[in-house]
Amino acid sequence: MSLVGAATRPPRRRPGRLGIRNGRFALAYLSPALLIFLVFTIGPAFFVLYISVFDWNLLNTSMSHFVGAGNYRKLAGSSDFWKSIEESAYFVGATVAGSTIFGLGIALLLSSRGLVRRIVRLAVLTPYFTPLVATSIVWVWIFNPQFGLLDSLLRLLHISTVGWLQSTTWAMPALIVYTLWHDLGFTVIIFLAGLATVSPELREAARVDGARYWHEVRDVVLPQLTQTTLFVIVITTIGSLQAFTQIYTMTQGGPLSATTTTGYLLYEESFVFYHTGFGAAIAVVLFLVIALFTLLQLRLTRRPA
Amino acid sequence: MHRHRALVLPGLVVAAAVVTLAAYGSTTKRDSTVTITFMEAMSSGKQKPALDLLTSRFERANPGITVNLIAEPNYGVLQQKEQASIAAGAPPTIAQAYENWAAGYADAQAIIPLDGYVHGKSGITAAEQSAFWKGVWKDLYLPDGKIWMWPFNKSDYVVYYNADMLQKAGLAMPKTWVQYATVAKQLTKNGNWAESMDTGTLSAPANGTYVYLSIVRAFGGTWVANGKPTLDTTAGIKALGYLADLKKAGALQIGTNYPGQTALGAGRSAFDLSTVAGYPYVLGAVGGKFSMKVAPMPSGRNGQGNSLQGTNIVIFSKSSTAERAAAWEYMKFLSEPRQTAYWAEATGYLPVTRAALPIMKGYIATHPYQQIAAQSLQTAGGSPPYAWWTTAVGQVAQAMQAVLDNGGDPAHALATAQQKALAAANGG
Repeated sequence: MSLVGAATRPPRRRPGRLGIRNGRFALAYLSPALLIFLVFTIGPAFFVLYISVFDWNLLNTSMSHFVGAGNYRKLAGSSDFWKSIEESAYFVGATVAGSTIFGLGIALLLSSRGLVRRIVRLAVLTPYFTPLVATSIVWVWIFNPQFGLLDSLLRLLHISTVGWLQSTTWAMPALIVYTLWHDLGFTVIIFLAGLATVSPELREAARVDGARYWHEVRDVVLPQLTQTTLFVIVITTIGSLQAFTQIYTMTQGGPLSATTTTGYLLYEESFVFYHTGFGAAIAVVLFLVIALFTLLQLRLTRRPA
Repeated sequence: MHRHRALVLPGLVVAAAVVTLAAYGSTTKRDSTVTITFMEAMSSGKQKPALDLLTSRFERANPGITVNLIAEPNYGVLQQKEQASIAAGAPPTIAQAYENWAAGYADAQAIIPLDGYVHGKSGITAAEQSAFWKGVWKDLYLPDGKIWMWPFNKSDYVVYYNADMLQKAGLAMPKTWVQYATVAKQLTKNGNWAESMDTGTLSAPANGTYVYLSIVRAFGGTWVANGKPTLDTTAGIKALGYLADLKKAGALQIGTNYPGQTALGAGRSAFDLSTVAGYPYVLGAVGGKFSMKVAPMPSGRNGQGNSLQGTNIVIFSKSSTAERAAAWEYMKFLSEPRQTAYWAEATGYLPVTRAALPIMKGYIATHPYQQIAAQSLQTAGGSPPYAWWTTAVGQVAQAMQAVLDNGGDPAHALATAQQKALAAANGG
């Protein structure tokens, strides 16, 4: 076994002088970017970890005191935190499912050539390039209970209206609808790229064998899109866990914390109520969850198709 | 190469000389002048040019003092910048601050008490002190009994109303909350309603939150007693029930993004309960479509119960003695009758002292609402000066959402709010 392994494994080569010199050059060229990354990303990340074990006084750090795992224990017993986990699961579940299903569906509809489809493709993609704050405000007005487009349409149809962003039942679906509208273009593009790699011969063979469109999609296209679909799921999960701007602009976590996701709770505790140590503990937990998904993504993208 | 080397030495000598001269120049300047920095959020509309003008007038009158204004786009950013600058150990000399911000800064020893300046050699006289509106003066203290803030841009609530709508219905502007409810319900017909309100959220209380708190005071309730929140008083429950009743009758609608202004401007609602500083914006929303008038807030058994709005100025403890003295001169200057009158006329904020009213006679003749609102400053209540009030007022907004948006019970919603506010007050 070991002999076979030795025979197939390429021989290990010690780096020559040129290789070492190239490595040093590479490091020298990378060092400005690395330094910036270290100072503005890695350093603060470790500092957040440090703060999370203190009852941190932001205004006078000498008044901070070490609490060990105190903030984490408080987090575990905090009903606000667990509610935010529920809201995050609701938001992430709906946006990931919506992005994947609608993204794939729209990509399938738009995958063939034609001017109209190209225009529709552009229309679907455009919201993704619009600023979140500006379009969130537009949607706040669409959802306005007295003067909004949506409720005006409902009134025209003699359907009872809803205070979309004021209702604990409807605020989260309203946020999800906005997020899907904004982000769907990205997943459509990913799926379109994935569809471009699907073997046309296999599809044609299926058609020759009498497969209907749905069977062709189910039995030929979808299996070849597994990697793409997994990538979309992981990347939209990470994006949804980090969602903040639309929540801040449209609902500010309300009503009654119905849209307070863990990411928004982190902001609220750290920058509204200035419970900095507690906020840092939330940040660490959120970081671990996102890191887990990132590792998953890395593993999936490295796996051969 | 040698030629280049020959140029390096003289170059270094010249550069060193320039640096030395520059340093000498700045030292000389520092010896004769004091530069103070003022972090503020008066950066929009007519506020910026008005503050710029007052500052340049001050600098002309005080040649030894330079004031650098650090303008921030809004109060949210202002607070974050202040907090960040304190955390970084480089705060400005002075800054605008709400009462609860000041309480947090004082707890962290980031600001200094002002009693020594107010009652000192360059302080104010007893007559000047008594001319400040009572509500404004009371608002300068923290619970330790010391003056920590100095008044700047103050406002309170008034009622903007569609005078044509009321006249058409044969109704007069209500003077009490009882009358207001009756009139509001009578005006709710043909797709119109009385008032739109933003309840605010836990992290961002809004106008509606403070209107409710005003009604609580008018009904004889309190927000705080003995250093602890009192959100679930009988008056509080009654006030929330009062709004719930209006909502049930369709007279009160809930919205976001200044819904009162939008609905009044669109001619759909009769009233907008908002701060006097919003006058130019309400006027813009109405756009001359109907006759818009301004009235004082209705009263309850405990009077008007208005909520004081706007900020004060604080001096940060990192500043030097000379900077503090210069800052005090500037703050005092801004609050003097002539300057506060100019500020009020230019921006719509209120003069902080009664002594400004004679100067504003001509202006008040054309803008009578200014006097109405200014007089309310006598009794208006400022935000309680406790750092935990941020949580408490957020909980009030939550209780309003529970009742007005989601049909909750006022007593239960306020009991929950009180429990959480109390936990925050107890350091939880």
